Amino acid sequence: MSEIKVNFILNGRATTYVGEPRTTLLRALRAHGVTSVKRGCEEGECGTCTVLVDGVPMKSCMMLLPEVEGKSVITSEGLVGSNGELHPIQKAFIEEGAIQCGFCTPGMIMSVYALLNENPDPSDEDIKEALSGNLCRCTGYVSIIRAVKKAAAMMRE
Amino acid sequence: MLLQFDYVKPKSIAETIGLLVQHGSSSAIKAGGTDLIVWMKKHLIKPEIVIDITGIAELSGVSFYPHKGLRIGANATINQVLANREVKRSFPAIYEACLSHSDRLIRNKATFVGNVTGGVPSADLVPSLCCYDAVVHIAGPDGERDVPILEFITGPRRTVLSKEELVTHIYVPHIEAQAAGCYVKLARRNALDLAQASVACVVVDKQNGKDFRISCGAVAPKPIRALEAEKYLKGTKTLDETAIRNAADKVTESVNPITDVRATREYRLDMIRELTIKALATCIEGLRGGRMS
Ligand SMILES: Cc1cc2nc3c(=O)[nH]c(=O)nc-3n(C[C@H](O)[C@H](O)[C@H](O)COP(=O)(O)OP(=O)(O)OC[C@H]3O[C@@H](n4cnc5c(N)ncnc54)[C@H](O)[C@@H]3O)c2cc1C
Ligand code: FES
Ligand code: FES
Repeated sequence: MSEIKVNFILNGRATTYVGEPRTTLLRALRAHGVTSVKRGCEEGECGTCTVLVDGVPMKSCMMLLPEVEGKSVITSEGLVGSNGELHPIQKAFIEEGAIQCGFCTPGMIMSVYALLNENPDPSDEDIKEALSGNLCRCTGYVSIIRAVKKAAAMMRE
Repeated sequence: MLLQFDYVKPKSIAETIGLLVQHGSSSAIKAGGTDLIVWMKKHLIKPEIVIDITGIAELSGVSFYPHKGLRIGANATINQVLANREVKRSFPAIYEACLSHSDRLIRNKATFVGNVTGGVPSADLVPSLCCYDAVVHIAGPDGERDVPILEFITGPRRTVLSKEELVTHIYVPHIEAQAAGCYVKLARRNALDLAQASVACVVVDKQNGKDFRISCGAVAPKPIRALEAEKYLKGTKTLDETAIRNAADKVTESVNPITDVRATREYRLDMIRELTIKALATCIEGLRGGRMS
């Protein structure tokens, strides 16, 4: 069976990955050192593998590598500025104690990023709905919701 | 880990049919892939070639045609269906079924049509389609054909599709009268859980009386309409609590659930009764409140 070459934009840079069609986007990213993308359940349940594909949040374990041919993929690494400056969402998660073990955090942050692009001032309900596919086993979701509200306020300024 | 396979991404329906004819049962169609990838991981299916149809423009889009109805292309994701305003307004049972499906992220990938073609008894979108008398459009080497949703799924993970055919879109006829509809689902948690039992209900307020349509999910090997209950309700003068209860009893007689990891047969029967009562009450209330279709 064949090896394939997949061209896509990763965090703003033209990238080519060589792999097998059965490689999921999750596994391909991690194999290339993009380790913010976490391997949790690999069955679409937990959301720790969430990335943006052409601006839309997706679970990368449910995506085959060839599916991103010609598309733009953004991970939590891609939100960090060139001088290492964290994104307001990343800062807000740290400041509000919305991170404990951190395993769910990069995926959460990508779902929040997609939400705030669409809706700069989300209600608690909007936030819960947007994060319905991202599970956190540590914090309970209260501090996460607080962090999203803080990030939204920072980004509106 | 997935077994090895080759991957092709055709650009047209004709090209897809060519590939299906060439590869037959060693191939599998992939739309969103949220069922397919999971089944392949579990080695429930072992295709040698995966045909990704998401690059086919002819299969995209959700469109509403007044006086005709709703056309849902095979590549439309569930979130794209939810985003069409006419779905919420005219097909509330479909709208609520879509909202009950998985979570926001999976709905960005999972297609509406893929939920139907999988033929899974707990598929959330099927009961509502049964209430609206949806029609499945199929294309294959011998041309096109239309199959009513109730006949499309023939058993657990089985459909009328031959190995050389694909579904191009699903068509949901418009109801030319006031109507209410809802979908109620029992699962262990709100997001991300398969139905243990579910009921879709649509009530149409016609000049010569009300029309009732009731369909259940996860409680029979293939989609059903509770025809006895529908007939009973149509003949009933006063839609009081007793009538609703009697109808709910008739609905439980029309289903045949199994015991599995998610629930027992007895529990499912009890729940179908309760879900039906809730669904009927919601629709009747909706009509009183003038929920338009
Ligand atoms: C985490 C998770 C949560 C889920 N939650 C739910 C839920 O709450 N409710 C629910 O009902 N389901 C749920 N599912 C199951 C699945 O997401 C849905 O059934 C989904 O709608 C399938 O669509 P898809 O585009 O991903 O299908 P695919 O996986 O691409 O295809 C499904 C099947 O249909 C065939 N197929 C697809 N398109 C066509 C076509 N046009 N013509 C012919 N055959 C075709 C494929 O070959 C395959 O056999 C869940 C799945 C996951 C991973
Ligand atoms: S690893 Fe992708 S959803 Fe859990
Ligand atoms: S911080 Fe540990 S899972 Fe969320």
